[in-house]
Amino acid sequence: MVNHEGQLYTIEGVAAGILMIFTAYLVMSTTTVYTPGDTHISDMQLEQLGTDALQMMNTPANGLQSESPLQTIVEQNPMDSATFNTLFLNYVNNETGSKTDNLHYSAAVTYYNISSQTTGSLPLASNRNLTGVEHPVRVTEWVIVNKLFPGDPGGKNQNRAVLVEVLLWRD
Amino acid sequence: MAGLNEDAQWIVLMGFVVSFSLFFLAMVLNQSTVVGQTTAESVLDFPKNDIHDLRSVIIQSVYQKNVDDPVINNDIVSITLARKGAIVNYSSYHQGSYTYINIHYNNGVTVYNETWASP
Repeated sequence: MVNHEGQLYTIEGVAAGILMIFTAYLVMSTTTVYTPGDTHISDMQLEQLGTDALQMMNTPANGLQSESPLQTIVEQNPMDSATFNTLFLNYVNNETGSKTDNLHYSAAVTYYNISSQTTGSLPLASNRNLTGVEHPVRVTEWVIVNKLFPGDPGGKNQNRAVLVEVLLWRD
Repeated sequence: MAGLNEDAQWIVLMGFVVSFSLFFLAMVLNQSTVVGQTTAESVLDFPKNDIHDLRSVIIQSVYQKNVDDPVINNDIVSITLARKGAIVNYSSYHQGSYTYINIHYNNGVTVYNETWASP
């Protein structure tokens, strides 16, 4: 027969069981956290900042009538890396007041080689070399330029779509 | 509590309450470490900027130049596949005084389809 003895011991036993299961759950779940969330948040902000800067550079001053600064930079032969450097760093590094941020970048232009049917890359500009210890994010912007790229069978300038890719990091 | 001393039941009850609330606090603390990561990752994984940018260059090339240039079309499709791992396909047609562009984008996770009509 069931009697009423030992009720408190039963409750204590149940509580101890829950405590052990919960401890095991905590130990197991801690192994799934690889990196703290903070790094991803700053990556997200950096990516948005770089995308905004490139979009501003690819906006023509006069609506759709004239060329954007980015189009003009890529169409130069060789490409105008000095203007790109000035414009881009102005957009990403300026802060309120006289202080400036400390962002660095390395930019390249990706084009399609019609003859070999592969994509190629031309260096555009950079203000610091990547050494491997940085943690960059990649931002991109499409731009249509009237230019002759390697592997073009026509041999003369024509409208091409190329991708400006920028690796951006803070140190 | 037949076999036991019945004194101090409130103390025992409060002991249980405190220990269970400690369990829940520990659980909340455990979850809080991954909150920032999951939100930022979901924002980074969603190709908002890619689609936005792609859409604008397609509309710029087709509508502004008023012709669906096969060279530019091939450039956009090939470079997107090579550099972003996404499949893109677009085509345009004219009906009356309007230009329509069908845009398809698929990077394996996010699919975007649009029929753009000239204003």
